[in-house]
Amino acid sequence: MLSMQHISKVYRTELVETHALRDFSLEVNDGEFVAVTGPSGSGKTTFLNIAGLLESFTSGTYVLDGLDVSGLNDNERSRIRNQKIGFIFQSFNLIPDLDLFDNVDVPLRYRGLKAADRKERIHNALETVGLASRMKHLPAQLSGGQQQRVAIARALAGDPHFLLADEPTGNLDSLMARQVLDLLQEINEKGTTIIMVTHDAELARRAHRNVQVLDGQVTDLEAPDSHPLTVAVDNDAADNLSAGA
Amino acid sequence: MPIRPILSALLRNKTGAVLLVLQIAITMAVIVNAAFIVSQRLAKMNRDPGFDVPNMIAFQSWGFGADYNHEVAVKEDTDYLASLPGVLGVTTTASLPLSNSGSANTFAATGEEFDEAGADTPEIVANTYVMNEQVLDALGVELVAGRTFYPEEVSYRTPQHSSFAPSVIMTRDLAIETYGTEDALGKTLYDGLGNPAEVVGIIENMQGAWVDWDDLTHVLLMPGIAAGPFLRYIVRVEPGRRDEVMRVIEETLPARNSERMIRRIQPFTEIVARSYRRDHSMTILLIATVIMLVSITSLGIIGLASFAVRQRTKQIGTRRAIGATRRDILGYFMVENWLVTTGGVLLGALLTVAVNMWLVDAYSLEKLDWAYIPAGVLILWVLGQLAVLVPAIRASGIAPAIATRTV
Amino acid sequence: MFLYNLRLAIKSIRRNLSLSVLMVAAIGIGIGACMTVVTVYYMMSGDPIPHKSDRLFAVQLNNWEAPGPFDQDRPERLPELLTYQDAMNLMESDIPTRKLAMHASGLTLDPANPDINPMLTTTLFTTTDFFAMFDLPFQYGGAWDESADSSAAEVAVISRSLNETVFGGENSVGERISLDNREFLIIGVLDHWEPVPRFYSAHNNAFGETDDAFIPLSVNATWEKQNFGNTNCWGDSPIDSYAAFLGSECVWIEYWVELDTAAQQDRYLSYLAAYISEQKRLGRFPIADASAEIHDVNDWLVYNEVVNPDFRVLLGLAIMFLVVCLINTVALLLAKFSANAPRVGLRRALGASKATIFKQNLVEVGLIGLGGGMLGLLLARLGLQGVKAVNLGQYDQLVRMDQTLVIAALLVSVVAALIAGLYPTWRICQVPPATYLKTQ
Repeated sequence: MLSMQHISKVYRTELVETHALRDFSLEVNDGEFVAVTGPSGSGKTTFLNIAGLLESFTSGTYVLDGLDVSGLNDNERSRIRNQKIGFIFQSFNLIPDLDLFDNVDVPLRYRGLKAADRKERIHNALETVGLASRMKHLPAQLSGGQQQRVAIARALAGDPHFLLADEPTGNLDSLMARQVLDLLQEINEKGTTIIMVTHDAELARRAHRNVQVLDGQVTDLEAPDSHPLTVAVDNDAADNLSAGA
Repeated sequence: MPIRPILSALLRNKTGAVLLVLQIAITMAVIVNAAFIVSQRLAKMNRDPGFDVPNMIAFQSWGFGADYNHEVAVKEDTDYLASLPGVLGVTTTASLPLSNSGSANTFAATGEEFDEAGADTPEIVANTYVMNEQVLDALGVELVAGRTFYPEEVSYRTPQHSSFAPSVIMTRDLAIETYGTEDALGKTLYDGLGNPAEVVGIIENMQGAWVDWDDLTHVLLMPGIAAGPFLRYIVRVEPGRRDEVMRVIEETLPARNSERMIRRIQPFTEIVARSYRRDHSMTILLIATVIMLVSITSLGIIGLASFAVRQRTKQIGTRRAIGATRRDILGYFMVENWLVTTGGVLLGALLTVAVNMWLVDAYSLEKLDWAYIPAGVLILWVLGQLAVLVPAIRASGIAPAIATRTV
Repeated sequence: MFLYNLRLAIKSIRRNLSLSVLMVAAIGIGIGACMTVVTVYYMMSGDPIPHKSDRLFAVQLNNWEAPGPFDQDRPERLPELLTYQDAMNLMESDIPTRKLAMHASGLTLDPANPDINPMLTTTLFTTTDFFAMFDLPFQYGGAWDESADSSAAEVAVISRSLNETVFGGENSVGERISLDNREFLIIGVLDHWEPVPRFYSAHNNAFGETDDAFIPLSVNATWEKQNFGNTNCWGDSPIDSYAAFLGSECVWIEYWVELDTAAQQDRYLSYLAAYISEQKRLGRFPIADASAEIHDVNDWLVYNEVVNPDFRVLLGLAIMFLVVCLINTVALLLAKFSANAPRVGLRRALGASKATIFKQNLVEVGLIGLGGGMLGLLLARLGLQGVKAVNLGQYDQLVRMDQTLVIAALLVSVVAALIAGLYPTWRICQVPPATYLKTQ
């Protein structure tokens, strides 16, 4: 469960103050698949950075899984990122000189897991994204879609509660984009909460719920009838739709 | 080339620029002071010894046999050496000039000094050499007035003796120091016990025993031969024949008398080199330090600039795309380096003076000649520009098309 | 986690290989230059007899007289050596645990074996305590005793190297050698002994070779062999015989005592003061505040300025050199790490704490330091060969690196690299995790 109440984020330079988020409130329940949309510069990425504990916020409260994160120090935030959150980026952000195994291994290392445990998780994660046979390949030897699947495996290996995706298909052609999205949906169906930032309304439609950000604020909550979900909404969907009002 | 934008770009990456400035400043302080010390040492080593170092040979003779007769041995050896073709002069001596070993005694221009306290004649310290009548030819010193010793003035002297000498020859420096005039011929010199001797010759110049001694050119020659059984010989030869004569001495002299041992036959240049080995080694070590430091600093500049070029490849491509010429790009890096170097040498000038003050204070080295500072500035400017040239040329070769390529 | 960091460090070093090589070279050359000078300096200023250097004292008496002090430039200094008569008189005192007088000379050795040419042996005329006091190791035989001193016995202790030259290294105790046409009975052969610096005769050549032969000083009271060391004389009575020389105010005898306790030292100093007053009554020690001084071994080496001041200057310059190399390394590391910022941002996003990143980069820096240290050691060896070559044999004994120095060099370079790496590493840890994720 993720709950942001009246979050605002102000960037200050010598000359200007920019309000990236203002009075931003959002709740995401466990198991939801939420798409956050909005035009470029609306504050989507700032929201995602704050949600992923990559950045701090100026005011408001943010409770993640019952824990108020505003008071946490850098080390504690690192630990929560490592244990509860998985990231997927538009440009994959794989480490080019590590092979797939080692790339997926990175967050597990920071968790201090035993070697056997790590190995099993990496294996399962790569299995899930269908790349277990290419464990020893370097990222450059894969297509963009495959690379993004490795990034998803990396995010999954740590068994996160939340998967935060920032334009996960932005660098992919439509076929690959569809595959990645299918994969995300599959993961969501197994219980992982997904928050995806995108400017693509087509993609957003595959989420349970769309949140639109404009000028750093949540502008409206789409009613289910105006943006009908294209895929089968599971039994939780009704609850999800009513949340976060 | 507009400096302001380059400067403000530099200021944005303050740490990098500051580090380079510091590095250049310390480099300058080290190389300028090192160069100064080197020049001083070279000047010291290049002083005129006053005698014919390149054409001289020296060796030791140790009488040890039961039947060793010192006076006969010395006479025979001296005559034999003098008879060798190419030899200009032979003398015996207890110690060698410029060997960092020798003896010095005190003298005075009047005889009363040691009897009356507070006598106003200053005490004179001079290096003394006891040599025979061939002294001038054996050393190749230049006689400016008077004569050499008469053979009858040359007598055997034990280390313990109470007499002074019938006659003495002195360097011009010693004459001026003793009498206030170089025109000292015929004047009387008194030894520490008040014994007199007549000054019969003045030589232009001759260096004494210890290369670090202030009174190096205060040299007094006295007639005589050490009573033995140990003494040294100096043999001077015609220019170009030193090695030839040395070989002859090595091959023939030891066998002429088995009661004495001939040791260390060596060119005089070796003896002088040994005496100056501290200065020699200091010079070489300092030059090595300078070379290494200059390479490190240059490599540092090259490394940083190359890295900057690689990191800024896209930016440089963009600049090229929007109209910058190759020259503009080249100029940018050159001016950037020049600005940093200038900062470095300004700080470096201060540091150079500070280091020099430390050296003067702690090791009584000489004060830096100010002209070394602008010279150092110039060298570092050139060095910096040369070092940055390669990466700058590489930068200017970046294709504008880079700008439109992704990742 | 260390191994993981090590692997990452190696990957990172390989990623920017030329830059890494440059850093290793910078540290290596800096350490190399520094260690070369430090080695020579360390050996020069080393303690040649550490287990008792604070109990051995060189003795000085100020028998000098005007005009002018003994050392014109430094009037506070006493003559380094004693007159023969003072040395003989001080031998009477039984306050010191041990005591010795000595001077060097050169004697011609005429070997019985006709295949060996006559050779010059540097000989120390000294007294029995020399061997026990300075802890000389014996290969065969031993020292002479006091009776040999008092009877001027013609006995000799020879060095290991002389024994090897003349007797092929066999036990030569009981053999005789002819020195300057006089026969000496060999009673002892030393083992290898080479204190660096040579603290006795430090005023002459502190880095010369040790002597070939040792003979009772009393032998030379009548033999009249010339002193090889410094002889400084004053006075207005003529010195026209060797007997007059022995009775003169010439200083040429080096005198050492072993004083094991502070009380002993105090007693000895009072004894010396009393001795001077007594001699004053006999008309000697003319200056009003004539005094005595004792210096222990390390003091004595400083007093005699055995450390070539040129090497202090070089040490200062070498340290500045090392600083330049380190600044260079800091700048290069900053550049390298700044290029790594996106990677660090990603790792931070994936849950690495600042401390983790810090450690990871520090391992890399340490590795570069270690590489630099090893290169530095190699260069220092070359540098020392260079120092040896340009000093024409003067410092041959000083250009050796012992274990302490090797470890010190490695330690210094790693620590230096870590210090140099601290700021860049700290800077890289400040990378906000979010900054580089979006762009690439």
